[in-house]
Amino acid sequence: MRPLTRLRHRVRALWHGADLDRDLNREIASHIDDEVEDLVARGVPIPEARRQAGLRFGSIPAATEAAREARSVSVLENFARDLRYGWRGLVRQPALLVAAVTSIALGVGANLTLFSLASHLLFSVPSAASPERLVQVRTGNGSHVPFRGWADLEASGVLEGVAGYRLEFSVNWRHGSDVTSVLPMLVTANYFDVVGVPVADGRAFGAAEARADLEPRLAVLTDRFRRRHFGRDDVVGRVLTFNDQPYTVVGVLPPGSRSMAPLGVEPDVYLPLAPSLAPAIAAPRTSVVQLIGRLAPGQSVEQARAALSVTASRLADDYGDPEFGVITHVGRVGGAGQTDAFDVVAVFFVVLMVVAGVVLLIACANVAGLLVARSAARRREVAMRVALGATRGRLLQQFLAESLLLSAAGAAGGLAVMSLAAAWLGRVSLPIPLPVQLHATLDGRLLAFGAALVVVSTLVSGLAPALHATRRATASGIRGGGGPAGRGRFGMRRVLVAGQVAASSLLLVIALVFVRNLLLTAEVDPGFDVDRVLVARVEFVEGRQGSAAGPVVERVLDRIRATPGVQSAAFTDSVPLTLFFGASVGTELRIGPGPDPVRADFNRSVIGPGFLETLGIAVRGREFTASDRSGAEPVAVVNDTFARQYFPGTDPIGQRIEDPRKDRPAAWTVVGIAGDSRYRTLGEGRVPALYLSGLQADAPDRLTHVVARTSGEPEAFGAQVREAVLAVDPSAVVTTETMESALAFAFLPSRIGAQVLGALGALGAALAMVGLHGVIAYSVSQRTPELGVRMALGASRRSVAALVVRESAGLVAVGLAVGLGLGLLATRPLAAFLVTGLNPSDPAAFAATAVLLVGVSLLAVWRPVRRATRINPLVALRTD
Amino acid sequence: MGKPADLLQGTLDLLILRTLGTGPKHGWAIAKRIGQVSDDVLQVTQGSLYPALHRLEHQGWLSAEWERTDGGRERKVYALTAAGRRQLAHEIRNWQRLSGAVGLVVREA
Repeated sequence: MRPLTRLRHRVRALWHGADLDRDLNREIASHIDDEVEDLVARGVPIPEARRQAGLRFGSIPAATEAAREARSVSVLENFARDLRYGWRGLVRQPALLVAAVTSIALGVGANLTLFSLASHLLFSVPSAASPERLVQVRTGNGSHVPFRGWADLEASGVLEGVAGYRLEFSVNWRHGSDVTSVLPMLVTANYFDVVGVPVADGRAFGAAEARADLEPRLAVLTDRFRRRHFGRDDVVGRVLTFNDQPYTVVGVLPPGSRSMAPLGVEPDVYLPLAPSLAPAIAAPRTSVVQLIGRLAPGQSVEQARAALSVTASRLADDYGDPEFGVITHVGRVGGAGQTDAFDVVAVFFVVLMVVAGVVLLIACANVAGLLVARSAARRREVAMRVALGATRGRLLQQFLAESLLLSAAGAAGGLAVMSLAAAWLGRVSLPIPLPVQLHATLDGRLLAFGAALVVVSTLVSGLAPALHATRRATASGIRGGGGPAGRGRFGMRRVLVAGQVAASSLLLVIALVFVRNLLLTAEVDPGFDVDRVLVARVEFVEGRQGSAAGPVVERVLDRIRATPGVQSAAFTDSVPLTLFFGASVGTELRIGPGPDPVRADFNRSVIGPGFLETLGIAVRGREFTASDRSGAEPVAVVNDTFARQYFPGTDPIGQRIEDPRKDRPAAWTVVGIAGDSRYRTLGEGRVPALYLSGLQADAPDRLTHVVARTSGEPEAFGAQVREAVLAVDPSAVVTTETMESALAFAFLPSRIGAQVLGALGALGAALAMVGLHGVIAYSVSQRTPELGVRMALGASRRSVAALVVRESAGLVAVGLAVGLGLGLLATRPLAAFLVTGLNPSDPAAFAATAVLLVGVSLLAVWRPVRRATRINPLVALRTD
Repeated sequence: MGKPADLLQGTLDLLILRTLGTGPKHGWAIAKRIGQVSDDVLQVTQGSLYPALHRLEHQGWLSAEWERTDGGRERKVYALTAAGRRQLAHEIRNWQRLSGAVGLVVREA
């Protein structure tokens, strides 16, 4: 009963707060009347009775406030009142409002953008029906398994369904006279049935019609591909020519559909996996597809793993492929299971989020500084409210309501900042040949994160000023005035500013270390001659690349070499420092005369005759020639590091390297030693490399590269190289660029690191400078009388300016010392991201940070200092 | 003479409940009655009386009604509820235990 009564009262009080206040006032009036009546009855004259009654009652507002507290709805009721009150107060000071909201908007915007990118790239779940029942399955074969492994697992019924997919690098799409390369997702016939991808127009293809052995010619397009090439046209039923075969479009996926491919990679088109597109599916031991399984309703991941293990090991026995029998991973789709690169990308984002968090803290410190300054001006108001019976808790509530308003407004601004950043990111094209979509979109996760940011920034920006403002809220404050009593509060602002300078110098040091890294990267010698080299990527339709005895690319090269201005040209499976850098191999090799195989880790490239000459890599001995073809003695070229490491103390030329693997033994004779170059990244150390002759390869790949050294600007030769390829095979896709632009890929990590961290560092420093400016300007205004006296007593402008500069120099010096000290600690774990040879405590970066911060600090205090020197002593003295 | 003895925390509730135990009264009468009965030793400051009344009403121990007096004035009259009566008995027991204990300490210690 009682709780019910109480609840009724609270609800009544909440809705009728004003009524209840009126009620109380009536009651107090009636009380005073009673008192007066009583006194009059005892012979006190009426006016005197009135006075006494009033005195006896004491503070009416205090009683009202106390009664209101007693109703205890006050938390909510007061909160609404505080918001209104706070809003009125804030709009009266538009400068403060704009500065605070802008600060928080920038800080929150940076956090939201990075968070939504991270959540999109790392945690987005593929578009599917009940994605929580979809699992990624990996075996001892690696991320991919042989095609028959998929087929037999699906046939066994071990899960409700098992599908396979393969993100192929490209298929050639002919439209009109043009052939371009598009990114296909090759999927098993049952893929759409198992995954349940929502389709916008038309339909998906089904298991019965899309069986691999039928060579199905069906296609499902993604919305992005459709829009880019067909606009709003209806494409269902159209026939598109992929790899010179007609495919009928049966459906289009909706906008924003997310694929199984990791890290935001979106294919252009889904095609049924078939021998014509991926001949390797016929090979029993070649891993071709990634597995995706659908759990039966109620089946747990653990049960699925157990069932898969049993079935897979039985199949592995049949195949004689024991690795297939080991289930290494069964995990829900999306998130950490999507790719092995997850950890690296996640660490990268964690670093960025921490940095962005520091930027937000700097922004909050700015707002805190502004609020502290404002609370100094409001001491009188606070003291009055305390005298009227407001408790400290009540006052804290009121102050926090104000910072909540600021933070919420800032977060709204942050969303605007994010959508601007998202629009910009959507236009960024990364120098990689994969269509990665950078989305920053609004979703529940992002909103929850935004709400958390509002709470954090409310507390960080509001709690300290609120505690400070209410701590000395005594009646003495009513007397008002500024004066030395403000010193304590001002001390707090100084701490805030020194903290901001420290945080921003930390950010700047990190950013500058990465800028140095970028500069050093550009200076790193790649080990080959980049100038006047054209790189062409050539993709043949599967089957048209020729045979081991006569790769088609040889005929192409004959034409290119005959072009005037081309000095040399060669084909290769890999171009150093691009996405196709070759293969990182770790295997057992029998090297030289020793009888035992040794473990060797090296970069392997399969190159055609003239490759080393074209790239200007020096060779001792000889490089491959046109006679190093199948049938001739197998030969190899090693680089200096390989020679030093695996042929210590002997000359490798003429010695043998054997690959003793049972299923495919191979042996080569070393005929040359090439100079070292960089293969994967510019930052890598010396890496051993093994070159094999492309004319001795098992079978040519449909994807190959042509490099050509030219006498003039290499761009000019792009068209001729393309014509040479198309004259031999018009169905091939040719993409040409200069070696210099191809290397943009190698600069990508350093560039992204330097740009993002540089932007965040600059943002943090700018916010800190706004804070510094505010504190010094306020200090000058507070010290106007003092400075006036000094000037009246003959102090020169110069010495007054020095006084003010010294004050800010102290703050900056303390902040810098702390920030650079932290920088020494913080940059150490970043060494892994840096070029070898760059000290993470790079003195240049630290010195530049100090110079930069001192410079911008001088700018920040320039205006207040000027004001201080222009003080008119007469006017200044009159103000006190 | 200093201030009239500050009421021990919580005793005001007891005094109000006890005073209303003899019948419904309005605020002024409650204060007056406490003063009279205690020979003006206990002075309830009005600034604390009304917050206390509102709190007790809120907790469901008092009910309140506006009444019109013969003189045509309005008064808010408070009365004990059933819960209020139980609370009164409870507080009296507490008080007796406390005052007995304090008395013991004063005499014996």
